[in-house]
Amino acid sequence: MKSKWLISVGLVVCLLLAFALPMCAPAPPVEEEKPPVEEEELAKSIRAYMSGTPEHDADQANFIKQKLGVEVKYLYLSCGVIGARLDAEAPRFSADMCISVCGPQAVTAKKEGWSIAYDSPAWRGLGSEWKDPDDYWFNTACVVFVLVGNEDRLAEQGYAMPDSWEDLLDPKWKGQIVMPSPATSGTAFRMLFTFLQLYGTLVGKGEEGGWEYMAALDKNIDHYTSGGNAPTDLVARGEFTLGITNQAQVQPRIDEGYPLLWTIPEEGSGFGLGPNFILKGTEELYTCQKIIDLLGTEEFSALRAATGYVVKDDVPIALFGTKPKLVPNLDLNWAFENQDRLMDEWKTRFVTE
Amino acid sequence: MAEARALSRPRFVWQKIEDFFAVHIVSTTGGLLFLIVAIFLLWPIIAVLTRSVFGSEGLTLEYYKTFISKSYYHRSFYNSLLLGVLTTSVCLSVGFCIAYLTTCGPVYLRRPLRLVTFLLLISPPYIFALSLIILLGHRGIITQALHLNWAIYGFTGVVIAQSLAFLPLAYMMIENTLSSLNPNLEDSAANLGATEGKILRSITLPLLRPGFLKAALIVYVLAVAEFGNAALLSGRTSFLAPDTYLTIVGEANYNMGSVLSFFLLLPCIIVFVIQNYLIRGKSYTTIGGKPVAAEPRHISSVILIPMLAVSFIACGLILLTFLVVGLGAFTKIVGVDNTFTLKSILDVGSTAVLINSLKVSFLAGLLGGILGVLLAYVIIRGRFRGRTTLEGMTVSGITLPGTVLGIGYILAFNKPPLLLTGTIVILSICSVFRHLVVGMEAGITKLKQLSIEVEEASLNLGASTVTTFRRIVLPITFPAFMYGFMYTFMRTMVGLSAMIFLISPGYSLVSVYIFNEATLGRIGLSCAATLKLITVVSACLAILQFSSRRTGLSVTRKA
Repeated sequence: MKSKWLISVGLVVCLLLAFALPMCAPAPPVEEEKPPVEEEELAKSIRAYMSGTPEHDADQANFIKQKLGVEVKYLYLSCGVIGARLDAEAPRFSADMCISVCGPQAVTAKKEGWSIAYDSPAWRGLGSEWKDPDDYWFNTACVVFVLVGNEDRLAEQGYAMPDSWEDLLDPKWKGQIVMPSPATSGTAFRMLFTFLQLYGTLVGKGEEGGWEYMAALDKNIDHYTSGGNAPTDLVARGEFTLGITNQAQVQPRIDEGYPLLWTIPEEGSGFGLGPNFILKGTEELYTCQKIIDLLGTEEFSALRAATGYVVKDDVPIALFGTKPKLVPNLDLNWAFENQDRLMDEWKTRFVTE
Repeated sequence: MAEARALSRPRFVWQKIEDFFAVHIVSTTGGLLFLIVAIFLLWPIIAVLTRSVFGSEGLTLEYYKTFISKSYYHRSFYNSLLLGVLTTSVCLSVGFCIAYLTTCGPVYLRRPLRLVTFLLLISPPYIFALSLIILLGHRGIITQALHLNWAIYGFTGVVIAQSLAFLPLAYMMIENTLSSLNPNLEDSAANLGATEGKILRSITLPLLRPGFLKAALIVYVLAVAEFGNAALLSGRTSFLAPDTYLTIVGEANYNMGSVLSFFLLLPCIIVFVIQNYLIRGKSYTTIGGKPVAAEPRHISSVILIPMLAVSFIACGLILLTFLVVGLGAFTKIVGVDNTFTLKSILDVGSTAVLINSLKVSFLAGLLGGILGVLLAYVIIRGRFRGRTTLEGMTVSGITLPGTVLGIGYILAFNKPPLLLTGTIVILSICSVFRHLVVGMEAGITKLKQLSIEVEEASLNLGASTVTTFRRIVLPITFPAFMYGFMYTFMRTMVGLSAMIFLISPGYSLVSVYIFNEATLGRIGLSCAATLKLITVVSACLAILQFSSRRTGLSVTRKA
């Protein structure tokens, strides 16, 4: 009996060691970057993380499939989620590249060494808002946010669509406005730093001036959604009268017949980047590079502009027609550097229930 | 005995190996299972806890300090506690009423009541958030009809949704205990002249205490940790589970997410300890524990009427929910534009993810069924130490918050040799180990009916261990396997909290799809996908039930 028990314990210990020892060892270093592939053959498919919206992601994936014959297996996640994924997965990513994600992720990926630089002929000579100076990321589309209103609800109450961000502070809107939460949405973080600069640092009141605006706005906000596009749908369906939202879904909802109004208030909108980058460790480097080249074409810009994004090429932009008014002199670097602090400050002030 | 047989054979090498396994197969399998369960249940939790005390500069309590110093964390912690307590009380009292009616109440009510609660088991728990939004949202059907300037978003909404969502679990566990009580005890009390209220108070309820505590523990954990309803309905109120999710996925802050996970785990640990301490040393088995309560008893109207009222209200709300979701699937925008449309139901996006879910759930069901039976076998037949630990570990799987387990899986299985993230296997595995206890307990119940002498006789008559297992143990445990399979399959199909962390590019699941569409406010697509999900799961279960009945291996409800 005793020997039986000993043998089984021995077996278990051996197995445990076999599994546990390598697990305790530090993660093996990431393989060095592969030398440029000689044979010019595209992979059948690549895997990508994509932000934006499910519809836009599908359009972009289809475009790549049509032009290159490469299937993009993508996972739609919000920018924050992609950032969390990259952090958890490093240095072994479940995707080959990130397509149309947000500024902070591209900046972090470059800083942490998760992305691969590529000197793409399609992107040479563009300014720093379109391309990382060291070739680590490529911005295909700037996202802006807009003010949306539900036509029926406005008419019911006899109110006109506001044309200034200041109008939103009027007590008549109490409980009628929705915006995304800066703690969880990249779009909302853009709103936060835009307002902090617009009503604070840019008008000489310091950051506190901006927080005062946010506090006054908070009194009229019903709740903060977790996704940046959610207010579009909530306002389109008439759950709320006004919403500050990502522009991406506005045109599609109008086309579907929802009573949705939009405007860029007179002060202008803030904007963020929609960068693309290749993830280190990919086995399909050549294909990813070809995709980056493709993303730099005017045709791709036209595709993005057709859904209301501001692009590098001179093509007509849906929703806006021409380039919309943006808040001048926004400091994006200040925003990325202070992101953690600003988010903590926001939560301390406004997560009160 | 097996040893005697081993000694009497010629000692060829192959024979030796075979004999070794014949003798030690149970212990080695037990050891292996112990290892597997430890890797897939303990290791992820350890990974989460480690991450909560390890920062970029080594060991630190910095993150716990942050939790204690920030008011926004206090709020969500407090809200979650309150939510858990309220939901648990509602679920237990309503669950008891329905369970009492289905075991002792009028016969014609039993089947319909059971059916309604079963309906809940195969539908995603966040279905109630959908229906509450359609009914009582800012543009809800009821809100508009009554011109209310109020909406369901907030604490009340979440409590209602969670209570309805976890009612069937509370019901099932209470019903299980209730039906195994020997009615003779109650009958004798009645014959001796005790009133029904007195019997209920002094006999039935005290005997139900273990069942109640177990149900309370599990409902509490689920109510606090499942974040679907809370994320969709909370409005401005913060809760721990959605906060944990958003800390990880929105802020990419694994350290704080792990700290929040610890606080999600904490009440579970406390409740678990209390439960074990309270029940230990007290025997609650009534003589001849076989369920005999089949005959409807006379229940006086003082007790019957309130019970009927509570049960009917609860079931009415559940049926209303399904009706509303059904409507939502076929109308353009329910409440706003009620034109009939097939657009949502024909949407291919949800079909693709539904197929993914089916694959994952089928794999999970298979693994769950097999592992459950094996575990039951080694726990009942094994002679090695650590059996109770193995059983305890498996049981604790179901009490782990899904959110925590999901985070644990990303942290634990992202490095070789167990590089599982990004595969579909990790989705199945995560679900298997969370629900393993169900198959195991069913297996234990079955095996306890089979005396070990039958197996020994088979061995003595010259059958090998494998043959014995195949010819004797397998047939008797097959219903337990099927039960484990079905339960794991169902829960994997509708599970969200852990899965949402583990899906990978090009491989989403239907539960995540429903949740994502609902957060974007596309209620029509969510409802349509929910409807498809419920239909497919019921169809699968019906086929399984039918085929197992045809093969003579009928699956009873509790094995």
